[in-house]
Amino acid sequence: MLSNGEKIVGKKGSASQALAGVKVLDFGWAVVGGLSGKYLGDYGAQVIRVESATRPDLVRATQYVSISSTNNLDDKPWFNHINSSKYSLTVNLKDSLSQSVMDRLIRWADVVLENYTPGTISRMGYGYEYIRKIKPDIIMVSGSAYCQTGPLAHDWGVDGTGATSSGRLDLTGWPDRSPVNPSNTTYGDSVLGMINPMVVIAALDYKRRTGKGQYIDAGMLDVSIHQVTPAFLDWQANRHLQTRAGNRVPNASPHGVFPCKGEDRWCAIAVFTQEEWESFCRVIGNPTWTKQAKFASLKSRKSNEDELEPKVSEWTKNHSAEEVMSLMQDAGVSAGVVQNVQDLFERDPQLKERKFLVSLKHPVLGVIKHPTPPYKLTKTEARVRTSPCIGEHTEYICTKLLGMTDQEFIALLPCLV
Amino acid sequence: MKKEIQNKLTYLLFVYGLVCEGQERYCMTESLMSGFRALDLTDEKGLICGKILAALGVDTIKIEPPGGEPSRYIPPFINDKVDPEKSLYWLAANTDKRSITLNLETRAGVDLFRKLVRSADFVLESFPVDHMANLGLSYQELSQINPRIILTSITPFGQVGPYSNYKGCELIASAMGGVLENTGDPDRPPVKEALDSCYFHANVAAALGTLTAHYYREMSGVGQQVDISVQEVAASRRTIGLIGWEFDKLLLKRSGPLNQFGRQSFRWIWACKDGYVYWQLFGGLHGASANEALSRWLDEDGIENPLREIKNWREFDMSTMTRDRSEAWEKAISRFFLHHTKKEIAEEGLRRGIHSCVANNSSDLERLPQLKARDYWTSLPHGESSLNLLYPRYFFLSNVTENFIKRLAPFIGKDNNVIYGTELGLSDAEMTALKELNVI
Repeated sequence: MLSNGEKIVGKKGSASQALAGVKVLDFGWAVVGGLSGKYLGDYGAQVIRVESATRPDLVRATQYVSISSTNNLDDKPWFNHINSSKYSLTVNLKDSLSQSVMDRLIRWADVVLENYTPGTISRMGYGYEYIRKIKPDIIMVSGSAYCQTGPLAHDWGVDGTGATSSGRLDLTGWPDRSPVNPSNTTYGDSVLGMINPMVVIAALDYKRRTGKGQYIDAGMLDVSIHQVTPAFLDWQANRHLQTRAGNRVPNASPHGVFPCKGEDRWCAIAVFTQEEWESFCRVIGNPTWTKQAKFASLKSRKSNEDELEPKVSEWTKNHSAEEVMSLMQDAGVSAGVVQNVQDLFERDPQLKERKFLVSLKHPVLGVIKHPTPPYKLTKTEARVRTSPCIGEHTEYICTKLLGMTDQEFIALLPCLV
Repeated sequence: MKKEIQNKLTYLLFVYGLVCEGQERYCMTESLMSGFRALDLTDEKGLICGKILAALGVDTIKIEPPGGEPSRYIPPFINDKVDPEKSLYWLAANTDKRSITLNLETRAGVDLFRKLVRSADFVLESFPVDHMANLGLSYQELSQINPRIILTSITPFGQVGPYSNYKGCELIASAMGGVLENTGDPDRPPVKEALDSCYFHANVAAALGTLTAHYYREMSGVGQQVDISVQEVAASRRTIGLIGWEFDKLLLKRSGPLNQFGRQSFRWIWACKDGYVYWQLFGGLHGASANEALSRWLDEDGIENPLREIKNWREFDMSTMTRDRSEAWEKAISRFFLHHTKKEIAEEGLRRGIHSCVANNSSDLERLPQLKARDYWTSLPHGESSLNLLYPRYFFLSNVTENFIKRLAPFIGKDNNVIYGTELGLSDAEMTALKELNVI
């Protein structure tokens, strides 16, 4: 039993956790590393996060909100969100004493995760070659910005690097302005943070069938290009170099974001079919302009979007975003409030019913909300536990999980920081 | 050239598992998930999930209504000609799948589908909620045919909740998920991300959920339904915004080419001579070497350099930035980037370690040495035509299994004869009759 009363499940353990019994040694850090292990942990894997108090995770150093300070590694709610359901071990890998702990952990683990700049984990002494010698059937996943080989392999990257290098950034924004990235919302980090655990699970299943482990090299650039492949094919086949198009798409019109009552309130509306266009016109009261030939078909609306969109805005600005959504949806037209974080946090009844956020108690931050994994398994629900304080489980991991005697543990204490 | 050969060699050594001495060489003929089968009923909301499974080796059969899946009509098209076999959108999203036609609006079509479910491992669908149940194909009904089946449903708002029957598309899910609000210039409406960003991410989540359920199924024998809401997947990305609201009641808004991290905000998208560049300022140890390298380059360019005031970059703390300092630094760095081309920043920036990245477009991607060195592209001929297009060859690499994209997206009903004839044992006459009845 853990100190908080939770039971560690065995290989054939509780039937209610999809990944019960899976053991993960997690060298992951920052956002990709945080998420990759978190999703496995939220669904029941036992994930041990290897940390260092002297070189802490980048996210443990962020000060995005007022509760976060410079002198406490445990008061960062962002870290909480992306490191739930893990155990934390602190160890100074530069101390030669640490090797005996790490070797035992490698023998314990089914999976090793890491996302340092390529070459770093080997320099730390725990590259695939070393780990494989200790545990030949290990599954190891490296998830970096540019992957392990190629001229950019050793360059360092973050979420925005993935967007920029893959072509996503060049396609986001207005045609007459600089491209833009969401101002504080990840994408490549979030996507690679799901690809990594997905590959882990596929590799675990492969090992179940064949007995073989393997090494996986995944990266943000390689994965992100898949998202913009239609534009890449358009360039090759037609020599069309797609660029930023605002909110417009070729197969719907209107397809945009329109101002509503209130400060910075907007509603997105998308009209694909002729039937939807007719419904849309009915909702806005069939004004005479909607009967004009220039708006009669998708093709003609596409040719006259500069004129069409202000006319839609004329109507939407007299309604709240919620009213627009509701009226359009009732008529069978795709529409949605451009929700802000307050909407997500407090108002949206859909997210509430789906338990998008759960409240968990953290020893430093108190009771705070955590996003649950955004993929729901109907029979084996995720069970999200709050993220660990740094080194919170060091003693438990060494003595209970690895079976060290008290004397052994005490002797190793100098490196467990 | 020498460097290119060296890069290629490193890649080959890696892929064939010869990187470390003494490591045995595996024969890579298998994919991670060879031997499993998925029936893919999705439209554009869910095509990528099946594409990922297919790349992992799952035999993914795209089941299309007679005449083809409507998303075959999504532009762009080869030669701009509307043709269900030439949608580049569709071709990108359906590599390695097989295709059969089947009309689920007919009784006979539903019966055939039930037969296919017997030997399938996964069913993927993105219909409006309740549509599968109305066809007699709810999870409960499918699990009676095959208790091991995993049904993955990808919809704008998920299977339950007051908005579950709302109509949606990528733009709407992005709006309701809170991502749209966070993207764009403050003086204009919020603006969507590239192409179908939210669908793509939701489909990666769907593949992860499907495999999580698969792992459990293989351990327990029990299948289940996996419920994906595109809105919720988008909202899961807004964690920084959510904590800003929870702790400080801050609404962190869109701020154009600047990031917006509350107390730690700075420009991260910069214009250069011939395009745009991404460069993010980090404090402490994490940003020290890049900041120092950039500052040195500014000096060498003879640009007035306020960054010089920092003597020890390791101790530089982003939260101490004042508005005046930010403005002065942004001005200097803007001037610096405008002096240089994308090529200069990519090559010289890499050498100097400033950790910048140039905004590639499709033309740049085609030539990117990084991708060439990793054998990232694969050329797939379009049917009988002479058109060969490059597609990404993989999502990731393994030293043991081969998870490569190998086959062009299928033509409509290309595999009808194999699946209905050879596998289900229908005679030619039966197939002809089913065709005449518009069932297949």
